[in-house]
Amino acid sequence: MGYRIAVDTGGTFTDVVVADEAGRLTVGKALTTVERTFEGFSGALANAGDIAGVPYERLLAETEMLIYGTTRSTNSIIESKVAKTALLTTEGFPDTLLYRHGGKREPLNLAMEFPPPYIPRRLTFEIPERINAEGGVEQELDEAAARAIIESLPRKRIDAVAVALLWSIVNPDHELRIGALIAEIMPGVPYTLSHQLNPIIREFPRTSSTAIDASLKPLMQSHLAEFESDLRAAGCEGEVLISTSSGGVMHVDDVVAKPIYTVKSGPAMGPLAGIAYAGAEDQGDDVIIVDTGGTTFDVSLVRSGQVKYTRDTWLLGEWIGHNLGLSSVDVRSVGAGGGSIAWIDAGGLLRVGPQSAGARPGPACYGQGGEEPTVTDAAVVLGYIDPDYFLGGRMSLDVTAAATAIEQVAGPLKLSADEAASAVLTLAGEQMIKAIQEITVQDGVNPGESIIVAGGGAAGLNIIPIAQALGCRRVLLPRTAGALSACGGQFSNIVTEFSASRYAHSNTFDFEGVSATLSGIAARMDEFEEKLRGRSIERFGREYFVEARYINQQWEMEIPMPMDRFESEADVERLVETFHDVHFRRYAVKEEGGAIECINWKGRITAFLDKPSFPAEPMTEAALPKPRRNTRAYFGEAGALDTPFHLGDDLLPGMVLKGPAIVEEPTTTIVVYPGSSATVTAGRNYLLETGAAGA
Amino acid sequence: MAQALADAGRENRINPVLLPVMANRMDAVCREMTNTMLLAARSSVIGMARDFSCAVITSDNQVLAVAEGFPIHVWGTNIQTKSMQDLHPDYAEGDAFLHNDPYLGNTHPADHTILVPVFHEGEHFFTVAVKAHQADVGNSLPTTYMAQAADVYQEGALIFPCVQVQRDFRDIDDIIRMCERRIRVPEQWYGDYLAAVGAARIGERSLKAFIAKYGAHTVRHFTEEWFDYSERRCIEAIRALPKGKLKGAQAHDPVEPWVPDGIPINVTIDIDPDAAKVTVDLRDNIDCIDAGLNLTETTSTMAAVQGVLTCLGEDLPPNSGTMRRIEVLLRENCAVGIPRFPHSCSVATTNLTDVIVNVTQSAFAELGDGQGFAHGNYCNSAAAGVASGTDWRRDGERYINQMFMMGGGGGASAENDGMHYLFVPVAAGLLYRDSIEINEQRFPVLIDKMHVVTDSMGHGRRRGGPATEVIMGPRNDPMRILHVCNGLESAPKGVRGGTGSQLGGNAKIERDGSEHPYPAVMVCDLEGGERLRARDQGGGGYGSPLERETHRVLNDVAERYITVETARETYGVAVTGNVEDDSLAVDESATAQLRSSMNGGGAPA
Repeated sequence: MGYRIAVDTGGTFTDVVVADEAGRLTVGKALTTVERTFEGFSGALANAGDIAGVPYERLLAETEMLIYGTTRSTNSIIESKVAKTALLTTEGFPDTLLYRHGGKREPLNLAMEFPPPYIPRRLTFEIPERINAEGGVEQELDEAAARAIIESLPRKRIDAVAVALLWSIVNPDHELRIGALIAEIMPGVPYTLSHQLNPIIREFPRTSSTAIDASLKPLMQSHLAEFESDLRAAGCEGEVLISTSSGGVMHVDDVVAKPIYTVKSGPAMGPLAGIAYAGAEDQGDDVIIVDTGGTTFDVSLVRSGQVKYTRDTWLLGEWIGHNLGLSSVDVRSVGAGGGSIAWIDAGGLLRVGPQSAGARPGPACYGQGGEEPTVTDAAVVLGYIDPDYFLGGRMSLDVTAAATAIEQVAGPLKLSADEAASAVLTLAGEQMIKAIQEITVQDGVNPGESIIVAGGGAAGLNIIPIAQALGCRRVLLPRTAGALSACGGQFSNIVTEFSASRYAHSNTFDFEGVSATLSGIAARMDEFEEKLRGRSIERFGREYFVEARYINQQWEMEIPMPMDRFESEADVERLVETFHDVHFRRYAVKEEGGAIECINWKGRITAFLDKPSFPAEPMTEAALPKPRRNTRAYFGEAGALDTPFHLGDDLLPGMVLKGPAIVEEPTTTIVVYPGSSATVTAGRNYLLETGAAGA
Repeated sequence: MAQALADAGRENRINPVLLPVMANRMDAVCREMTNTMLLAARSSVIGMARDFSCAVITSDNQVLAVAEGFPIHVWGTNIQTKSMQDLHPDYAEGDAFLHNDPYLGNTHPADHTILVPVFHEGEHFFTVAVKAHQADVGNSLPTTYMAQAADVYQEGALIFPCVQVQRDFRDIDDIIRMCERRIRVPEQWYGDYLAAVGAARIGERSLKAFIAKYGAHTVRHFTEEWFDYSERRCIEAIRALPKGKLKGAQAHDPVEPWVPDGIPINVTIDIDPDAAKVTVDLRDNIDCIDAGLNLTETTSTMAAVQGVLTCLGEDLPPNSGTMRRIEVLLRENCAVGIPRFPHSCSVATTNLTDVIVNVTQSAFAELGDGQGFAHGNYCNSAAAGVASGTDWRRDGERYINQMFMMGGGGGASAENDGMHYLFVPVAAGLLYRDSIEINEQRFPVLIDKMHVVTDSMGHGRRRGGPATEVIMGPRNDPMRILHVCNGLESAPKGVRGGTGSQLGGNAKIERDGSEHPYPAVMVCDLEGGERLRARDQGGGGYGSPLERETHRVLNDVAERYITVETARETYGVAVTGNVEDDSLAVDESATAQLRSSMNGGGAPA
């Protein structure tokens, strides 16, 4: 194969990871260009080309596959720049998106501001019709009324339509009829039908995903078309695939039909890099993936090689913002990163975040006018970051400004600058620890039994103490850590899910109904597979899941099915046993002999793509090179120690650095704390031994 | 950190980094318990609406951590843990206690609290409490809110005065069997019981790891330090307030025939920034009444504390350290004080508590612009009633459950409009709402409407959240909905020139379309084809409506929160055009004139 390029366009930087035929990965970075994405991409690609010694034009011309990850849809939602979208819903229920499912954080805060519903009430229209829980028609669709409503939409300059009716998941007739009316009356205007996009019970998440999807269609259709045509014009003839929130990639035409899958797709790629690196370095398949950027810290989880998914992904605030409603990779984000600001509260306690200095003005040490102490300033004061070699020397840092900023918290706490800076880093790490604990414990996983794969520019500063606190013995820091999401794109497969709603009680199991549902899902997977075989993809995998609960339990639990069809009571029993086991693992209780109710069924088909293979280099016996320099760095209770600084390029596979030591890579800095060590692996990644006792 | 650590050692204090680290871990324990309870629960009142809370209490009976539990639930768990020590001096590892005794520190009998003592090397360190509102507790009528109970005997709930329910981590089956004989839909209760015990055991496991990690000595010091820190935060927040003695009063509606004259409630608040203390006096109130509305020691205290804490803002840690600075004065045998046995406290978490929270929060507004809140909805509409009956789709299977479909407008604050799903003041917007589809799948009900009501809220510079109306009824078999309601004769008030909201109400819609309103204590029996209209209230407004920015008024018109008429008559804003063709606009000069004349002819506001 030729080159394979993975792109991740973030809010600030566009990252590119290029894989050559030998599987070598090269990272390139450039500023994101919002007006025309291609420019930022070509800048980053040229940067990677410079590093790899291959001209940009040749890279493009010889690219066989390009995986594109974009934050365009996420940012459009956050900035309210989506299409003017109408919501058509069942008469009597105009406020589904306003109420959401209730609840908020902060019990004692009554003065908070609630974001308006995703689609305003004035663009929400009630259609006279009603279907009941069993799919029976309580009230026939009033076509004349529906027609009058749809005919009024062009006057309101509506660019997209979301249709979400109650119980369309058991009887889609009315939604289908409305879809046909839209196509007839407003030809060319994109619309989304809830039962087709996301056929799950619960009107709020289903309506929310439908609204978001429809609102993104005009925008993402033109955006993807533009990017693709820019690519073609620049001489790239390779296949273009788009990263999705379900942790895979899709072809452009599939994404154009369901653009909601691009929302939050960047962080969803992280786990793929995690699995790939942990596998390549023989570190097992239980992986915690963390990505530390300037303002947010993302955590995701892989257990027994399976990425953890959730249906509870929010934009603009958990519970009060907008719910994606789809099953997507579970990524927990907390506002903690290099830019998080340290402050002292009214009780005299040191706090870090949630306010962040962001990229502008940024930390005090950037010298761009920031004055408040940040995590990055703390790292500079501690001596972890060489002020003359930040981002590989692309930016020099103001040490005095960092020290002045840290003094703002050191003074009142009666701590030395070192002590205060160390405390800031510890507390920033604390929020990260909490985020990791929440995602692991919730799934019944002991973090001490997993390896952490750490990415992001700021990850190396404090990942060792974080891992120690969690009882993790090993951390893998890929050399491409600075571009973890783009890197994940290199290891992605085409993944699509098909789901259907069908009630089944384990004591009176509806074999016929469930079989029909599962064969329906299988038929859709067959069709999908057929299409891809036409594009010469040959390896496929299928998994089935069911969302089930104990009788009358409130929330369903998604469990992988140990079979793909039900032929006898024994099959049902096996499913119930699996349910008991998972329930016990997660919630510490199970109902012995209890029956279960199955609600939603899902099939996931994976079309395997070729991946870069990690080239292994021979391990050296050679001694460590002389460090570039030795500097005093401060390590909490161990105090100030003379610390060697190495450049990553100077190190060879097999070399071991004992803490204290610091390794500088062009996009990240790795702090090896006293008592821990870092080994350069055959793949030129860093395997950190934290010294924790482990599980 | 050497010097700081040495200082810490001398003063026996925890260093400033370890303190927040340990507090964080404690918070994580509560969240873990909360998550377990939520996802494992059976009844919708717990699993869907989140009507439960988890807390960690120290061995000397101080509330340490509550994560995001209901304030009304978690305070008082300290009185419950004390009763565990008093009644079971030999409590040991592996024990669990079932406690729902309103005279011994519990909120009300419908809240079953599971208490599990946590030991480290044989020494008692903490007790975890998981308190959850049950779908049924064996009352004489199928509801968990028995306003009509003259005493605890008529109420009928099984009362467990901290009764041991597990030994050596195993159920004491006698207790389980008692519950199964007297609680409706016993398998639902047992599922919720399992979820609560699971949550408590998960909390126990995490706390044991916490103590093992930091050591017994450090953990003991941590709790003291954390209480001191919380107290310091509270001191600073109170010092920022103006000094003042505030008085507030409001009556709960009459509850025929038990309390025909209503229940007047007086609240006196003494704010003393110099002493950094807030005192709330609830003693000037009537004696316990012969109905189920009496509050308990816990709910009287916490309603007042919740009112104060929301006004203090500053995300104060809700624990015993913060509480050192807030004193609530109660008297024995008082409807909003300490109940005298056998008066019934069946409805002790809502109704009178909502009045106390509202009165307290609105009294704070007298301190100046920026302080306090307008009243929030206190009409507990029938869309939050307890529904029961049989399901013809499942061979006549019985069901009973509280529904959570009402909205309830929040009172406005100085900065923001009130929320649209406050529920009631004590719920503080924390409850989840039921999904229409899930309700219709689980119960043989058809819901016709659920929407916010135009013009229902109080108006002001910031307006209240809107009211919600729900129309629903059985699809076939008869359905019974029980509830106890306030706010049929009075409505939330505005503050600082803000207006009050519209009344709420519940009515039966007959097959012929005629409507009959229900009284405060409602027993609503519906046959197939009959419907229930349930409407709560909006919240009150904050500040003069004439000061509301015109773009906000315009948006409220466009979004149908208010009508064009209200914009003109209440806000003094002249709106032209219509939503239909996207031409709504503010007529600025007409508005200036209107506002000027409404202001008494003075300069435009």
